[in-house]
Amino acid sequence: MSTDEHMVYIVDDDPRIREALCELVASHGMQVTAFGSAGAYMAAQKPGAPACLVLDIELPDINGLDLQGLIAGGEHPPIVFITGHGDIPSTVRAIRHGAVDLLTKPFGDTELMAAIRTALAQDRARLAERAGLEALRLRYAALTPRERQVLPLVVSGLLNKQAAAELGISETTLQIHRRHVMRKLAAPSLADLVRIAERLEIPLTHSRHGERQ
Amino acid sequence: MTAAIPHLRLALAAGICVTGLAVYALTWTPIGLLAPVAGLGLLAGPRGGAMLVAGLGLAALVAALAGLHTGGELVGAPAGHWCIFFVTALCVGLAVMAAGLPPPRSHAGAGGRDPGERPAAALAAARAFRTCVPRGLRHRLSAAEGGDQRAGIRSDPGCPAGTEGEALAPKGNIGAGGSDEPAENPEVVRAARVVEALFGNAWALAPDGRWICPPRFAGTGPGLSPHDLNASLAEGEVAWHKLVHPEEYERVALRWRHSLRTGEPWKDQFRIRRASGSYAWARSTAHPLRDAGGRILGWYGTSVDIDVYRKTMENLLAREREISHLVDMVPGHLCRLAPDGTPLFFNRRMAEFHGLEASEAQIPGLPPLEGFLRSLVHPDDVGPMLQVLSQCMEAGGGFSWRYRLRRADGVYRWVAGRAEPTRDEEGRVLEWFGVCTDIEDQMQAEQALRSSERLHRRIVETLPAMIYCAEPDGRPIYRSRRLSAFLGLTLGEGGDPLTGPERLGATLEEIIHPDDLDEVRARYARSLATGEPYAMRHRLRRHDGTWLWVETRAEAMRDAGGNIAQWYGVCFDIEDLLRGQENLRTAQDSLARAARAASLAELSASIAHEVNQPLAAIVANSHACYRWLTAEPPNLERAKITAGRITRDANSAAEVVSRIRALFSQAGQARERLSLAGVIAEARDVMAGEALRRGVRIVLALEEGLPPVSLDRVQVQQVLVNLMSNGMEAMAGGDAEQVLEVRLTRADGTGLRAEVRDHGPGLASTERIFQPFVSTKDRGMGMGLAICRSIVEAHGGRLWAENACPRGARFIFTLPLDAKATE
Repeated sequence: MSTDEHMVYIVDDDPRIREALCELVASHGMQVTAFGSAGAYMAAQKPGAPACLVLDIELPDINGLDLQGLIAGGEHPPIVFITGHGDIPSTVRAIRHGAVDLLTKPFGDTELMAAIRTALAQDRARLAERAGLEALRLRYAALTPRERQVLPLVVSGLLNKQAAAELGISETTLQIHRRHVMRKLAAPSLADLVRIAERLEIPLTHSRHGERQ
Repeated sequence: MTAAIPHLRLALAAGICVTGLAVYALTWTPIGLLAPVAGLGLLAGPRGGAMLVAGLGLAALVAALAGLHTGGELVGAPAGHWCIFFVTALCVGLAVMAAGLPPPRSHAGAGGRDPGERPAAALAAARAFRTCVPRGLRHRLSAAEGGDQRAGIRSDPGCPAGTEGEALAPKGNIGAGGSDEPAENPEVVRAARVVEALFGNAWALAPDGRWICPPRFAGTGPGLSPHDLNASLAEGEVAWHKLVHPEEYERVALRWRHSLRTGEPWKDQFRIRRASGSYAWARSTAHPLRDAGGRILGWYGTSVDIDVYRKTMENLLAREREISHLVDMVPGHLCRLAPDGTPLFFNRRMAEFHGLEASEAQIPGLPPLEGFLRSLVHPDDVGPMLQVLSQCMEAGGGFSWRYRLRRADGVYRWVAGRAEPTRDEEGRVLEWFGVCTDIEDQMQAEQALRSSERLHRRIVETLPAMIYCAEPDGRPIYRSRRLSAFLGLTLGEGGDPLTGPERLGATLEEIIHPDDLDEVRARYARSLATGEPYAMRHRLRRHDGTWLWVETRAEAMRDAGGNIAQWYGVCFDIEDLLRGQENLRTAQDSLARAARAASLAELSASIAHEVNQPLAAIVANSHACYRWLTAEPPNLERAKITAGRITRDANSAAEVVSRIRALFSQAGQARERLSLAGVIAEARDVMAGEALRRGVRIVLALEEGLPPVSLDRVQVQQVLVNLMSNGMEAMAGGDAEQVLEVRLTRADGTGLRAEVRDHGPGLASTERIFQPFVSTKDRGMGMGLAICRSIVEAHGGRLWAENACPRGARFIFTLPLDAKATE
C-alpha cells in the first residue's frame, strides 16, 4: 500500500493536533501534507495521485461541513471528518454527503488509519475509472463518422440486415464497418462493445420492435 | 185636487182666447176680441181683475169722448163702435170675474177628526196648553178610506214650569178692543168667537185677506188697529205684514197667499209680534168659513203660544248634540252592551277604529259575547279575556283587562279596557258600559323599559365580576347572581344575616378573613362616613369555606343634593391574579436558574474543548510514538520527538485546569460583606420549584446572629445550588425520606460552616469526586464539584464530603470570617 503513490491531506487549525496527526500518519509510512485552514488547502497545488482529506469540522475560516458542500460538485478526495464534540446531526449530514467517517477526538490510530485507508482505496478506484473512461474516449475519437453511425445501431440490437437498411448500405459494407468499430474500441465481443457504449453513454437510438418487447 | 184647479182654469182661459181670436180672424168683427178679455178676467187675481176692469172702463170712456168730440154723434161713428165694444168687454170681464171657479173643498180645516169628538178634543188641548199639565187624549181619527182608527195624543209641556213666557195677549173677549165691528161677515166673527172661547187668541179675516177681527195681541199696540194692519194690503203685502217677524215673513206671506187663493187651510209656525213689541213663537192655524154654496165667507183662526215649547226643544236638542258630541269626541272607545254581551252602541271613535258599527261586531253562529270579542280582539287574547269577562258578567262585577284590539287596517293595538254594569232597582244588570283606552305607546314604552332593564340586568349578571348595591348605611339591597353564588347567600332569604344593619358587623366577621377583618371594617366605616371610594384587597369566604383573595371597590352615587343615595360595589376574584404573580416569580426564578445552569454548561463545553485538544494530540502522539518504536528498525529519533510532544501537550492540558481555577479566584472585586444565611435562603428559593417537582423537602437550620462574611454572592450561590442539586439527584428514585437539610453554624475556628446533607445512597469515594472529569452521573461532565471546590478555596475556605450515618452524604464547606483570597 505504502508503495503506491498517494497523499493524505490534513486540515486542522490546532497546530498540536496537526503535528500529532502528521506524525501518526507518517509513522504508518504514508505521505502527508497539513494545512491550518480550509483556504490554505484549497489554494494548494495537488498532484493527481489518490488522496484522502482529514478535515476538522471546527475551522477558523469555514465550517468543515460547509466546505464539504462547497467542493461536492467538483472532483475531490474522499473526506474523513474529525471533531472535538461530535453530535448526531453533524454526523448524519457528513455521512449523507459522502464522507467516509466522522471521528470524535480523542480517537485511536486504528480508527483513523482504517478510515484513511478506505478513503484512499475509494479515491484510487475513482481515478482508475476516470483513466479507463479517458482511454475509451480517445479510442472513440478515432472512429470515422460512418463507424460512429454504425455503433449505436449495432449496440441497439439490430440485425446487420436491419442496420444496413437503416443506413442505406449493403449488409456486407455494414459488416466491415462493424468489424472496424470492434477493433478500434478493443471489444472482443458484441457484449463487450455494448458495455463500452454504455460507459461512453452512447444512447440507444433503435430497438427491434416486436422482438425485444 | 187643489193643484188641478189652476191648470184647469189656465186651459179654459187659453181655450177661450184661442176661440175668440179665431172668430175675430174669420168674421173680421171685434166680437171675437171679447173672448180674450173673458179669458184674462178668468185668469187675473183680485188685483189683476181690478186693473183689467179699470183699463177697459178707461178705454170705453176715451172712445166715448173721442166719438163725441169728432162726430158729435155717438152711434154709427167708429169711436162709438169702439166705446160700445169696450163697455161690452167690461161687462163680460166683470161677469167672468164675479162667476169665477169655486174651489171644490169642504171642512178641510177640521183635521179629519170625527166631528162628534171635535169639541172635546179641542177643549182638552186648550186646557193642556193653559195649565202646562200633560194631558192624554184618545180619539178616533176618521181615515180617508173610511173606518175609524183610535189614536192617542199625549201633550207635554216643553219647558220647566218657571220659564213661562209672556202671553201673546191679555185675556178678554174678541172684538172688545176692535174698533169697527164688520157687519158683512157675522159668521166668520162668530166662528172666531168660538175659537176664542176655546183656545183664546182667535182672529178672523175677510175672504180677500183683510182683517175683520184682528188678533188681540195686535190691537193694543200703537198704530196697529185693523185699519193699520190692513194698510199693508195697499202696499202689496199681506195683512200679517206687521205682525210677523221679518225673518219669516216671506215664507208666511207665500203660504198665506196660497191659502187665500185656493181656500186651503193655513198652518204655520212663526214668530208673532207681541203687544209689547217683542216676538214670540206661535203656531197659527186658519180655516175658511164657507156658505152653503161653498163660497168662502171669511177666514178664522188662532195663534197658540209655543214659545216655551220651542225654546225647550231647542235646549234639548242642543244638549243632546252636546252629549253625543262628547261621547264621540272623548279620547277613548265607548260602547254599550246588552247583559248577554250583544253590542248595542259604539261611539264614533270606536266605530272608526274598528271600521265596524255595533251591529256588525258579531260573528254568526257564536254566542253574542264571544262573537263580539272574536270580531275585535287579538286571537291570543280572546281566550283569557272571554273567561274573565264571562265571570264578570255572571257575577255582575266590574271588568278591567289589557288586550289587543284589531284596527280597521288589521293592525293590533294594545288597549286597557274597563266595563261596569248599570242595574235596575232590583239589582238586575240592565246594560254594560265599556270604555277602552289606547295604551299602545304606553305598552311599547313599558316594553322598551322592560327590555332595557333586562339588558342591564343581563350585563350586570354577565360581567365577570361580583356586583352589589348597598344603602347609604351599608346595608346591601342587591347582589348579582355571581356574588350570591359565591357567598352561598341570597338577599331576602330567611337565613340571610345581611339584611339588618345591626348585624352587618357580625356578617363581615363571617365572610371576611380574620386577618383582614380589622382593616376592612375600618376602611368600610370610613368610606360610609366620608363617601370616599372604597378599595381593598382581602380574603373572602366562599360558600364552601375556601378563602379566596378578592379586590373590592365601591363608589357612592350621589343625588342632586350631593347626598349619598346608594353605594355600588364590584368585587373581583383576584385569586388567579395573585397566583399568576406567584407563578411569574417562580418562572423568573427558574429562568435565572436556567441561565446559571446554561452558563455553567457553556463553561463546561469550553473547558471540555480546551482540555480535549491537548488530549487528542497526546493520544495521537502516543500512538505515533509506539509505531516508531515498534517499527522495524525502530525510528528512535522520531519516537523521541513524539514523546516530547506528549509531555508538552499534557502540560498544556494541566494548564487549562489551572486557568479555570484562576478564573474563579480572580473575581475578588465582586465580593461584599453579606449574611451567609441570606445567601442560603436565596439558594433555597431558587431550588424551591425543583424541590417541589421532585417532591423533596428542604429543611433549613440556620444559626442566628452570625456575622456577615465577605463573599462573591453569585459564586457562593452557585456552590450552594450545585450542592443542593446534587443532593436532590442523589435521592431521586430512592425510597428514603426525601429531605435535604442545610445547616449553617459557626465553625470551630474563625469561620462559618455550611453543610448540605442528603439521604441518598452515599458516596463511594469522598475525594475522587472533586477531581475534574470525574462524575457519578450518567450525563455529568465531572466539572461541577471541581469548580465548587475552586470557588470555595478562592474564598479561603474548604470544601469536602463525608458519608453520613446511617446513609446519605454530607457536603461541608467553610468560609473564613476574615476572608482573604487565597489561591
